[in-house]
Amino acid sequence: MKHKLLLLSLLCFAIVAFRSVEDSLFVVPSNFPKPVYNFSKNSLTANKIQLGRALFYDPILSRDNLISCASCHSQFSAFTHIDHALSHGIDDKIGFRNSPALMNLAWQTSFMRDGAINHLDMLALAPMSNPDEMDENITHVVFKLQANNVYPKLFFEAFGDSVITGEHTLKAIAQFMLTLVSSNSKYDSVMRKQSVFTSQEKNGYVLFKKNCASCHTEPLFTNDNFRNNGLAIDTTLKDFGRYRATKNPSDSLKFKVPTLRNIEFSYPYMHDGRFKKLSQVINHYTNGIEKNRTLAPELQKAIELTSNEKVDIIAFLLTLSDKSFLFNPKYFYPKEIFSKTVKD
Amino acid sequence: MKGKIAVFLLFFMNVYGKTFSQTNSIQFSIIPTFGAATLHLSDSAFYANDTTHLQLTAVKCYISNIQFLKNGKLVLEEKNSYHLVDASEINSLKISINNQQNISFDQLKFNLGIDSATNVAGAMGGNLDPTKGMYWAWQSGYINFKLEGTSALCKTRNNEFQFHLGGYQQPNDCLQTLCFPINNSSKINLRLDVQQILQQIDLTKTNHIMSPSAEAVLVSKIVANAFTIYKN
Repeated sequence: MKHKLLLLSLLCFAIVAFRSVEDSLFVVPSNFPKPVYNFSKNSLTANKIQLGRALFYDPILSRDNLISCASCHSQFSAFTHIDHALSHGIDDKIGFRNSPALMNLAWQTSFMRDGAINHLDMLALAPMSNPDEMDENITHVVFKLQANNVYPKLFFEAFGDSVITGEHTLKAIAQFMLTLVSSNSKYDSVMRKQSVFTSQEKNGYVLFKKNCASCHTEPLFTNDNFRNNGLAIDTTLKDFGRYRATKNPSDSLKFKVPTLRNIEFSYPYMHDGRFKKLSQVINHYTNGIEKNRTLAPELQKAIELTSNEKVDIIAFLLTLSDKSFLFNPKYFYPKEIFSKTVKD
Repeated sequence: MKGKIAVFLLFFMNVYGKTFSQTNSIQFSIIPTFGAATLHLSDSAFYANDTTHLQLTAVKCYISNIQFLKNGKLVLEEKNSYHLVDASEINSLKISINNQQNISFDQLKFNLGIDSATNVAGAMGGNLDPTKGMYWAWQSGYINFKLEGTSALCKTRNNEFQFHLGGYQQPNDCLQTLCFPINNSSKINLRLDVQQILQQIDLTKTNHIMSPSAEAVLVSKIVANAFTIYKN
């Protein structure tokens, strides 16, 4: 009986300990809402995240084994491709959209500028198969991973099965992407009453709430919706945004409202990367709106800002930078895994 | 001794279990045909008397959510019912459905394609694994039905035609629910006549559907009508 009790208490302890390890892998920031991602169907483990991180940085996902996810999503630029207006992929090909920054994806209901991807698990399939990006396919990727000398072991450690599947490959990549949470900017510390805005930032925040927050909603700084923000169409790209995915004329020229977190580091801006500077973005909203059929209701009335107010808004936007995210070692290239590959 | 009994018991259970499952299951076969002829998917499969040099290279579909009804009421349904039927894979054409309690029925019901809830549920394994080639990449969603081949009627590259039918959102939801009155039998033969599909499509005009659209819905309905219960 005593033994049984001891065993039971040990078991309870193990469960509690395991739970807390699992919980620490993904913490919902205190000022954030409940995530959208269904973790019960892909519960996080350290091994799965580590596998996903290896896959994220491994060019094995591309046809020529030279392009990785990280090629167009580098950490220091909030996981987008700095200085590249349009995605730059395989054989130096140029895609037709600006690669989106990757963060706080557990709170997103659809993915890509046009929302064509309905689940985070399925996100990696798109760049993997795009002929201008990685030009591969998941079936062949799984074949290459199975033949590789480290991945069968990593998959076994993660999923208890060294037979690699598309499902496990995608779920592992999704797990790593889920851990990309940015929630420690100055803005966040002000919200948590651990810090205060300067008077300029404070004024910028007031102006932001008045003019921008209806689409770039706090605390994620996106309403996760699609809007036509009045950009004149680029006649070389002819990108009609969400219309491409839904073929619904009322979706013409609408694009996913991007988060503004780490905006200081994720230039250039807009779906086609047409603006290099935040000042150009603000000037677009005050002076550049092209009125057409699907223009966002929020932009029907002109936004008026003095030049000082514009500077104040930018000062506020800079408080959304999160260095602990941009330089967090847990997102770095996993050299401990890849150095083994070379040795073997 | 105990070990021997256990081994014997296991052996007995195995033999008995097998016989049991054979008598208490429904053998559901899908028979792809071209008119009355058996369907051949190979490079030399030109059909006689066909001036269009029709050749078929792929016929695949998802059959899901298999249910049996009696007097309009659900009496038996297969758990985790997702089957990838591939005309070139003989094993994929035979589905065995457990009917332990010998439940009697008079109607068969199933989906041609994958339901919308499964389409939005993230990465899946088994027959639903995206490596099976029945999942779109740039736009999330399963391909419900795939028909590929060549015909002189198609003024396309290598005379190819490709129908990848799918889409789970309105107004372009391609999922088709099929119902057939059937005899209460442990053998069901479902025929898919590809000739009937191609007779209703003008290959000179329609030869390339690869994303959700109104046209994909239309062709999905044509495909659904090409299924019949055969020699039941």
